[in-house]
Parts: sequence; structure tokens; C-alpha cells
Amino acid sequence: MQSRLKNTRSRGRVGVSFVVVGVLALGLAACSGDGGGTSGLEGNTLKMYTWIGGEADEQQWSDYIAGGKHADPKVAVSVSGPPIGDYYTKLPTVMRSSSAPCLVTFQNGRVNPYVEGLEPLDDLAKENKLDLSAYSPAMLEQLSVDGKLYSLPFNAGPTVILYNKKLFKDAGVAEPTNDWTIDDFIATAKATTKNGVYGFAIGQGSNPISTLMAADGHPWADENGPKLDDPNFHDALQLLVDLSNKYKVAKPLEAGGSFPDIDAFNTGQAAMEMQGLWDLQHAQESLGKDNVGIAVIPSKSGASKGFIGGSGFAITKTCGDKQKAFEAIEAMTSKSGLEYVTTSQASVPARLDALDAWSTNVGSPEFTAVIEQMTANATPSPVPSNQAQLDTLLTQYEVDAFSGESTVAEVLQQVKAGLAQ
Amino acid sequence: MTFVDLDRAEEEVPDRSVAPPDRPRDRLRRRPLGGPRWVGWAFVLPGLIGLAVFIVLPQVASLILGFSDSTLLGGTQFTGTQNYVRLLHDTQFLNSVMVTAIFVLVYVPANIAISMAMAMWLKTRIAGRNWLRVIFLIPALSPMVANAAVFRLLFQKDGAVNQALAAIGLGPIPWLSDGNWALVTVIGVSLWQSFGYNMIVLGAGIDSISPDVIAASRIDGAGRFRRLVSITLPLVSPALFFTTVLTVIGAWQTFAQAYVITGGGPGNSTMTIMLYLYQTAFTNNELGYASAIATVLFVIIAIFTLFQMWGQRRWVHYD
Repeated sequence: MQSRLKNTRSRGRVGVSFVVVGVLALGLAACSGDGGGTSGLEGNTLKMYTWIGGEADEQQWSDYIAGGKHADPKVAVSVSGPPIGDYYTKLPTVMRSSSAPCLVTFQNGRVNPYVEGLEPLDDLAKENKLDLSAYSPAMLEQLSVDGKLYSLPFNAGPTVILYNKKLFKDAGVAEPTNDWTIDDFIATAKATTKNGVYGFAIGQGSNPISTLMAADGHPWADENGPKLDDPNFHDALQLLVDLSNKYKVAKPLEAGGSFPDIDAFNTGQAAMEMQGLWDLQHAQESLGKDNVGIAVIPSKSGASKGFIGGSGFAITKTCGDKQKAFEAIEAMTSKSGLEYVTTSQASVPARLDALDAWSTNVGSPEFTAVIEQMTANATPSPVPSNQAQLDTLLTQYEVDAFSGESTVAEVLQQVKAGLAQ
Repeated sequence: MTFVDLDRAEEEVPDRSVAPPDRPRDRLRRRPLGGPRWVGWAFVLPGLIGLAVFIVLPQVASLILGFSDSTLLGGTQFTGTQNYVRLLHDTQFLNSVMVTAIFVLVYVPANIAISMAMAMWLKTRIAGRNWLRVIFLIPALSPMVANAAVFRLLFQKDGAVNQALAAIGLGPIPWLSDGNWALVTVIGVSLWQSFGYNMIVLGAGIDSISPDVIAASRIDGAGRFRRLVSITLPLVSPALFFTTVLTVIGAWQTFAQAYVITGGGPGNSTMTIMLYLYQTAFTNNELGYASAIATVLFVIIAIFTLFQMWGQRRWVHYD
């Protein structure tokens, strides 16, 4: 009897202990939260979470912060973050953590899933008398959700064809003109495919498809999401598959990995890639500044239209000093700030009034002609809220089209089914 | 949990002059630390807090979130069993269960067989066997993500593996573009990564077998196969049980290999449960649904582990 009583007491004590430990743990967890007043700042320095994949990215952010300081000496921003491949998956967790930053960055079309943790910028822009018309309208549209602006763009380049001039010269192939067609492109890719080098490097996911569709004036998505049933969507993916399987001018896509196109182009294993101008800097560093040319996206008609892409700064809802944060991103995206950045970075500024400085410092007449054609005649493309999911599914399933396991139509049906689920 | 009753230690020895030699338990009770009972709790409290914060609370939170539509940045609403009903009709989830089950069925027996064979081989008198043990253990000590990234390059269509095969007139094999081969690749890399750890554990089990027992079996005329079946395996069965349980748990939780090497593709041929959970939570932003997946995975692993615990009575010998 006494023994049983003792056991009962013992169990009771263990139970009470667990409750105490649980309460203590909850207390600790609660205490670990930030006070809120200075969330996202270290002293006077704003914390910015962004993609950092190496020295080139570090230099890029350092240059934008320097540009901000050039425009407003009070700007103080520190940066941290993972490579771009992991950035968007880590971002929500970071934004919800007790050490959430004040500033985050977005590429075009990636804002939508994160707006619940972002501060709309329209009112702040009004209060600070910021003239939004100075920025690329296409980028403002892509960084807005339901009519509210969530991110101020700092670059806004169209997706273009980057090509390796040396490989073109070695193959005896003329450099592309700004009225080249898909047939011209295929012929060029065939001519530059030799000695273990492919003529073209295919990118994963939706970007190559949306770019090819835009070149002929077809938006790849509408307010209901990606237009997977649009024959032009099918044709664009079919062209990519044909470049590999039919024309043998590109390496087929395989499972896994990220940015195989950039890897292949920047290491001289492919003569051309279809990429945003944000990669121009990396390509020039890898292949030599004068060795990288840019051309418009080939189209069926030869009158190519652009697909604008770029990136912007945003402010988190938890930021302890949103006014200070806005002043910082205003400075980093100001005319003088972005002009300053063009002295060291190749990406195209998002402000139209800073384009002259870019042309002077980075571009050549041929660069300027391409940018003007692609920017002035861009195909407006809304950004579906499920783009990240779409890219994941496309990356997984399009491999089957390249291996011949499925047709393009079957791949698109599988992606559609995945999105529906 | 039982703690030493330090307060009563003195009462239980009324006459020290005639007290018999202490039994082990009494010696424990009279540790020179003295002090009240809470001292014991104070010693284990840091561990208990760690257990609560890092194990119990996340498990409970995940269980609760599984009944909600929580997103990473938005609000949370209780949705009852909706997530679990959805799981039953989610073909991608059901596929991930199938893929992971195939992985477990192939990987676990292969891992244990290779580990056991290697452990027995290294028990023989081969030169440099200690160095070989270290070499075979190195993959287990290096980060899976780094290993997987290297293997991804090796197994590309024009990678080193296909080039080596071409040199002997074979291939190319579509390691990363065919669903079946992609799963073979993921299983192969997983085996390479992890057999070293099990090999060390099983090797220690084999080393603990008394040479006298082996010698006696030889005198009795037992051949190699008989010694393996009747002596080695029964005596090493506790170590086999330990490695099997941990390997099965690890196999159900496979993530990094599939994430880095294949990203779950081609199609969803290498989409493991953990990878699907990760995509659901961090790409699709469905934390509640991902928590439901985590709970189902926990239940699957618990069932397999309990089944193994129950089954050990039939084949594990602790004598």
C-alpha cells in the first residue's frame, strides 16, 4: 500500500516537473522574442536579408549600399542571406523569426506569396513625396499585388540572349542581329555547336517559356494563373525540347540542380543562354568583359518584344523603423544612387532617368539598342501567385519531355494536375 | 524516473557500528553530495528543458498545426481533420509514400548486408584494416549535401560515370533523366554515404564475440557458413537490431540526397515524403498541411519501430 502511494506520488512529481519544464520552456521561447521597437535594426544599421551566392553578390549589395550612401550619407545597411537557390524557401521563416530583418529583396514575380509579411509602400511613397513615375512601370507592376506596391525596383532588365563572342568567332558565325527569327537562332545554335560546346544552354522552369512567349507578344499568364492550356505555352516548351532532342544544339535538362544554363554559359560550355541582364556581370567576370554580347530574344516574326525582369527592395511588417527603412531604399533606388551603381555593376537600373549613366558606364551602342528595343516594346505579363510552385513542378516534370518519357502535352497536364492539388 | 532518497539514507542505517557491508543501492543513496531531493532535479533540469524546447514542444506544435490551415506568414485557422482527409486524396503525397517505401525496402537490407559484409571482411587479417575502417567511415562524416552535389555532377549525362562506362563500351545510362535510374542513383549514393557508420557498429559487435566460442565451434566441426549462422549472427544480433532500427528511421526520413541530386524528379520519381513535406511547407507555403504530413510520417516511423521492438524477441539474443 505504502509502495503504491509512493509510486503515485512519484508519478505525480514527474508530471508536475514536466509541466514546470513546459512552462519554463514556453517562457524562454517567449523571452527570446524581440521587443519589437528596434526589430530589424542593429543600432542605426538596417538589417537586410537577401541572396548572397558568392563574392559577386556581396559586391553587388555593397555597391547598392554605397550608392545609397552616395545619395544619402545617413544610409546604413548590413546584409546577410543564402544563395538564390535557397533564398525564397528560407525567407518566410526568417521574416517570421524574432530576428527578422527590416529589408528584404525580391525578383520580379516573387513578391506575391510574401505580402502578408511586407509593408505596402504606397503610403510611405506619398508621405515621402517619392515620384514613382521615375521607375520602370513594368517593374512596378510586377512588384505590386492587388494594386498595392510592396517593393521598390532597383534593376529592370529585359531577358536577353547572352552570347560568347569568342565561340561565335571560332565557329565563323555572324553575331545576331536585332531582327533575328527563331529559324536564324536555330541555325546559329547549330553552327556554334562543335568541339564539345553546345550552341545554347536551356534554363529550367518557367522563365525561358515566358520569355519565348513574350517575344511574340503572348503573355504567359493571366489573373487566373499560368496559361498552361495556351498553344503558345506548349510551343515554347516544345521548342526548348527540340533544341536538345531534334536539333542537338543544347544539352537536355536533367533532374535536380539549379541554373544549369548559367553554369554552362559562364564556363564556356555553351555559346548562348537566355537570361536576365542581372547575370551579365557574372558572365563578364567569367568570360571577359568584351567577350559577352547581348541580343534580343528571337521571335517567329523577327519583331521581338521584351520580357522585363528585375529586382526590388521591400520593407518587412515587423521592421522597427519603417520610415528609416523607406529612406534607405529610396536612397538606394534614387537617380544618383543607381547612377553610382552603374560605375561598377552591369545590371540595368530600374529608373528610366538613370539609363543614360548605364549606357555610358556599362553599355555599348549595341547594348543600348537591345535594351531600348526590349524595354520599349515589352509584353505585359502578370505574375501568378503560384509561380514558385509552378517552377518547382515544371523543373521536375519537363525532364520527362527531354528524356522522351512524356510528350510536352503530357508534361503540361502533369504540371496542371500538380498545381490543382 | 527515480531519484536517490538522500534524506532517508541515514534512517535506513540505524547502527553504523554493526551495519553490514553496503549493498550497491545503499552506497548510491549515501553519496557524499547530500542535500535535498531537488538537487537531483536541478542536475537534470537543463536536459529536460532542452528536451521540452527542442523535441516535445515542436512535436506538439506540429501535431496541433496539422489541424489548421497555417501558412508561414499568415494567420492560422482550425480546420479539423481537413488536412488528413486531403492527404488521402493527394496523389503526390501517396506517390511520395510509395517512393519512400521502395527506398526503405531496397536501401535498408542493402545497407545492413553491405555493412555486415564489410565488418566481417575487416575482421580478417588484412593489411591496414584500421585505415580501411577510417576510409569507409569518411563518407558518413562528410556533409550529405556536399556529397550529393558532387555525385550530381558525376552522374550527369556527360558526367564522369558515363564517361567511365563509355570507356569500357557501356552506357550511357540516364542516371538523372530516367525515373527508375534516378531512384537507383539516390539509393546508391545513400548507401555509399551511410554504410560506414553501421560497419563500425557491427564491427564492434563482431569484435566482442569471444574467440573461445569461435574456437569451440571449429573444434565441433562447424564450417564458415555454420559459424556465421549459428555463432556470429546470433551473438551480433543486438548490434544488428540497433543498426536496423536506426537505418529504417533514417530511410523514412531521407531528404538531402533527393533534394540535391534530383530535386524529386524526373517527374516525381524520387519525391520522398520529407522532400514533399519540405516543398509543401516552404515552396507552397502550406505549413498546416506540411505539419499533417509530418504527423503521418511520425506515425509510419513509430509503427515500423514498434514492430521491430516487438519482433526483436524472436531473433535478438542478449546473452
